[in-house]
Amino acid sequence: MGSLSLRLVSSRDQEEQEVVVEEKSSSFVRILTLNRPKQLNALSLQMICRLWDLFLAYEQDPNVKIVILKGKGRAFCAGGDVASVVRDINQGKWRSGAEFFRKEYMLNFVMATYRKPQVSILNGIVMGGGAGASIHGRFRVATENSVFAMPETALGLFPDVGASYYLSRLPGFFGEYVGLTGTRLDGAEMLACGLATHFVPSARLSMLEAALCKVNSTDPAIISAIIDEYSQQPNIKERSAYRRLDVIDRCFSRRTVEDILYSLEREVIDKEDEWISATIESLKKASPTSLKISLRSIREGRLQGVGQCLVREYRMVYHVLQGEVSKDFSEGCRAILIDKDKKPKWEPSNLELISDSMVDMYFSKVNDEEFEDLKLPARSNLPVSAIAKL
Amino acid sequence: MRKLLDGHNLEDRDWLFGLMLQSPLFNPRERGGKVFVLPDYNQSMEQQREMTLKRIQYLSERGVFTGWLTSRGIESELRMLAFIDVLAIFDHSLSIKLGVHFLLWGSAIKFFGTKSHHDKWLRDTENYVIKGCFAMSELGHGSNVRGIETVTTYDSKREEFVISTPCESAQKYWIGGAANHATHTVVFSQLNINGSNQGVHAFIAQIRDAGNLCPNIRIADCGHKIGLNGVDNGRIWFDNVRIPRENLLNSVADVTPDGKYLSAIKDPDQRFAAFLAPLTSGRVTIASGAVYQSKIGLAIAIRYSLTRRAFSVTPNGPEVLLLDYPSHQRRLLPLLAKTQVSQQLLLYAMSFAANYLKMIYVKRTPESNKTIHVVSSAFKAVLTWHNMRTLQECREACGGQGLKTENRVGHLKAEYDVQSTFEGDNNVLMQQVSKALLAQYIAAQKRNKPFQGFGLEHMNRPCPVIPSQLTSSALRNSEFQTNAFCLRERDLLNRFAAEVSQHQSKGESKENAFLLSYQLADDLGRAFSDRSIFQTFIEAEATVSDLPLKNVLGLLRSMYALICMEEDVAFLRYGYLSTNNAAAVRKEVTKLCSELRPHALGLVSSLGIPDAFLSPIAFNWVDANSWSSVKN
Repeated sequence: MGSLSLRLVSSRDQEEQEVVVEEKSSSFVRILTLNRPKQLNALSLQMICRLWDLFLAYEQDPNVKIVILKGKGRAFCAGGDVASVVRDINQGKWRSGAEFFRKEYMLNFVMATYRKPQVSILNGIVMGGGAGASIHGRFRVATENSVFAMPETALGLFPDVGASYYLSRLPGFFGEYVGLTGTRLDGAEMLACGLATHFVPSARLSMLEAALCKVNSTDPAIISAIIDEYSQQPNIKERSAYRRLDVIDRCFSRRTVEDILYSLEREVIDKEDEWISATIESLKKASPTSLKISLRSIREGRLQGVGQCLVREYRMVYHVLQGEVSKDFSEGCRAILIDKDKKPKWEPSNLELISDSMVDMYFSKVNDEEFEDLKLPARSNLPVSAIAKL
Repeated sequence: MRKLLDGHNLEDRDWLFGLMLQSPLFNPRERGGKVFVLPDYNQSMEQQREMTLKRIQYLSERGVFTGWLTSRGIESELRMLAFIDVLAIFDHSLSIKLGVHFLLWGSAIKFFGTKSHHDKWLRDTENYVIKGCFAMSELGHGSNVRGIETVTTYDSKREEFVISTPCESAQKYWIGGAANHATHTVVFSQLNINGSNQGVHAFIAQIRDAGNLCPNIRIADCGHKIGLNGVDNGRIWFDNVRIPRENLLNSVADVTPDGKYLSAIKDPDQRFAAFLAPLTSGRVTIASGAVYQSKIGLAIAIRYSLTRRAFSVTPNGPEVLLLDYPSHQRRLLPLLAKTQVSQQLLLYAMSFAANYLKMIYVKRTPESNKTIHVVSSAFKAVLTWHNMRTLQECREACGGQGLKTENRVGHLKAEYDVQSTFEGDNNVLMQQVSKALLAQYIAAQKRNKPFQGFGLEHMNRPCPVIPSQLTSSALRNSEFQTNAFCLRERDLLNRFAAEVSQHQSKGESKENAFLLSYQLADDLGRAFSDRSIFQTFIEAEATVSDLPLKNVLGLLRSMYALICMEEDVAFLRYGYLSTNNAAAVRKEVTKLCSELRPHALGLVSSLGIPDAFLSPIAFNWVDANSWSSVKN
């Protein structure tokens, strides 16, 4: 067997440890492990920068054909380090917060347009920024331990990291459901709706990794066939949301958040339904502002390319950080992540108080000298005409 | 840019695009890494008709049609028009089938009928409980509605109207929805009361009940068409069909139970005009549809030309992008400018039309504004012709790829060809425009009063002068451009009036004199349309303060003006431009092409058409055609 070599450069000890790089000898595969298990591998700015450097270097390196990304411990990655962003905002340092998102979205874009296959092993929690670092890649391997969610509406944010692109492309209106309720999906559900490309039982992961390390090609068909060999067809659980697509399509296709809630409530007027009631509950607990901007974000994202989505989301996140319309992001992080009382006081406190023009503000061009729109790098694998200018 | 051009209901449009993208009923397919939606035109005629109906049912369930007929107010009117725009971007048959049901049948109930009709029919129409169609055209009469031969009499004993088709040329023809699905129809017919012909009126008749034809109704299929096979067009014969007296749509005239004819408008010509006024909105949606299809064609052709290469101009050099050839620019960019510039007038007209409909809903008088009727006829003609020309050019610009149905461009020609002849033959409409302008001219002369209305106020000012030497900056000056348009219109109107008058002085009747002067009438109709479109764009351009955007709008405006001058022989024939001027114009067009070239991608991206509704050749057409995509 090839020997394991860990690159350790002493002055960057700290950063290196957060992302561990493995390169088995005579292999064209690089294995990156997110290594902050105590924080469930939450992405820090340093990790994002390191991943950026690695991904760009590997793209140019003819000795690298496949990049595998996985997480240490029971999580793949629970999200971006938003708590530190909120600390920055509360100290009036919105620019640092914006910088975090900027680097994160740039990384998301590189992954979405990467010329070589990225295989993410989602053997655990994959949420928020963790989804952003994996779903855009070519292959997403779910296991029986996978737990996916985009929980941002409960935090006063909105599903970002290009989620307006990938959620909007899930079947029917499942994307609206997942994005607005922040619901959790297991590996089987991820495979069914397309968030995952394969399902491999966790017991077979090391064999899969070994097989991939023998590959000498970037051809996605070959890689897919190898993963297929270790794959399994999982069963969707009895009470899965994925068995309720008819209700989801009926209700989450409605034009506004109010209409969505109203149609869900109509469904349970004459008959009880635990799942629908739970769905209504999660909508009612979320930040009303977040719900409105998330819905619009997903609807617009459905019609845009991934680059346009990220540029738009970056503007939206600027407005969130500024807190001109609502400071729900600070309040959400306080209640859920910092004080952990789980009782956020949203302001505006209900949907009726949020007008269309307030929502418009989140989508508007930014008139701030200190802000620059996200400048995505030109990616040569796409014809120029594929990336439309705004 | 999109807000300026699409104008209204952007979020509503996005929602509807999304509804179509997320349902398998709209036939999504992946090509070259992107998803596209397009009906399967390879299906049989019957299958295509069924799919159209299924799509309508889906949209109805999703609440798309809520309030289209039962809400008051401009908002729902504008949203309905926006939705029809969006649906037409997916498929012409879908928008036509809905247009027939809502804008023809539904509007007939709303505007030709009165409260009792509204109460009885509007809600069921909106909810698709009934399926309506619109029986106006006949085998022998299309554009000339007043000449239709279906005849209706009144039986005062039974208080019923009796509708009949007296001869084969009177059969209703091209009735969308009639062949398979419609349950009810508005029938247009001559009304004979007590032996007197009172002219054309509209009646409601049921044609199907629980899937079966009603008694005394015969229906045949119009058969396979060169396009629009998702619409089931039928032919209808009425064999003394009896309908209750209440089924007369009586907003303009009525018949009492004992058979007396009543109307507030005594003059039959005025009555007919007032009666048909609501159909104006149909012309507006057709024109709007035409502009959107031009946009689709141009978006595809221009994007393709930004990735397709052919021939090198240096030895060993790379092949050149199509849009880098001046000749290719000249083929496509002026059409883009014409499309963008025309859109402005449409937006204005849309909101004007919506307001107008609201107005006549409230109060119907003979003075119902004639301008909107003339303007809508003019630009229906001009924009549908422009669309056909644009689609042909775009098809050619895409070469062989333009022949593939799934690449859309070529197929759209067949689908939209009908636009130049339905809702009024374009040539007839242009004649009507000139007639109306002539009437304004004569009225102004007779009463010795200034011109008012139709934008003809420029006739009251001194005749514009075109400088003999035109520099580049002079050519781009909006005052010069306005003058050129106004001069052409002014002079043609004068000439036209003079020629008609000359024929009359030789003993020709007014009608004949008019017919004989058809060449000038044609030139004048075009002059009027171009000038109206131009003026509306200038007004919109003036409201923009963002400098880069203003710059691009200025380029588009100049391109529009100069291309009109280059292409219309009238400017040289009647000496509005000298031959030197004309040469300068031609040169400037080439310059403008190269200046617009860098903006091409930005412009087509702002046309408000999501990528999924374009086609594979607009994006990664090599991957879309790869062998691996065949295998999958």
